[in-house]
Amino acid sequence: MEVTSNNFLNSSYVLMFGKGAILLILIFYAIFSLIIIRQVDLMSKTLITKLSPVVRAFAILHAGFAIGLIILTWGIL
Amino acid sequence: MGYTPFVMFPAYAEYPKDCLFEGQDPNEKILLLLRAHPITNLSWILASIIVFFVPFLVPRVMLFLGFDLGVLPQTFQLILLIINYLLVLIIVYEGFLYWYFNVTLVTNEKVVDIDFAQLLYKGVDLAPLTKIEETDSVIAGIVGTIFNFGNVKIQTAGATVAIEMKNIPKPSLVADLILDLAGKPHEHILGVPKV
Repeated sequence: MEVTSNNFLNSSYVLMFGKGAILLILIFYAIFSLIIIRQVDLMSKTLITKLSPVVRAFAILHAGFAIGLIILTWGIL
Repeated sequence: MGYTPFVMFPAYAEYPKDCLFEGQDPNEKILLLLRAHPITNLSWILASIIVFFVPFLVPRVMLFLGFDLGVLPQTFQLILLIINYLLVLIIVYEGFLYWYFNVTLVTNEKVVDIDFAQLLYKGVDLAPLTKIEETDSVIAGIVGTIFNFGNVKIQTAGATVAIEMKNIPKPSLVADLILDLAGKPHEHILGVPKV
């Protein structure tokens, strides 16, 4: 059978490798999003404005989404 | 209030309301709040626009190279799309955070330079107004000249560390105001000239 680029991209090994790579990226992203929470906390304690609670809430939501995406990816890929 | 290109997020605000900083004394009043000129945000705005269009461009480039990404399962395509837009989100969010929280405050007691240069790095430089000896302002380049922003450097007596405010609006005016305040630190500068 001729190996074309299309069935190469669809082969189970490539898809499994792709799933692993995506999960790894998402795990690093989730760690990064948790660091951002700490960073935003540090920033909003240093300069206190009306916007501080909003950016802090956004950072927490963002981290929640990043962690949720790992679970979603694990489930659907 | 003088210069307000973004009314919600001013880069130059006299007597800013609803703004406090860590370590502010009870009688200390913020006279001036300074951020980098909004035009300096263009780099991350452009980067986010480019990343935004990546999902439209990459499949075409890959097709040109002989890889049809359309054969990937829909779930993979969806997750890759979500990752791409998360990247856009984080570029915008981080860009905004660094711009919004990197400020210089001039109070009736001191100059406070708050600097967040990288992840989990916080630098705060304080210079009492009574110790300020000299201020320098520089406007350089085409963009700086067009939009009237530049750097202001504050030299304090006997100190090797100088405070440098980068890309702030109206640097000549700010340098002059700080030097005026250094001479009379406890008088409020109600006569801040409006431009």
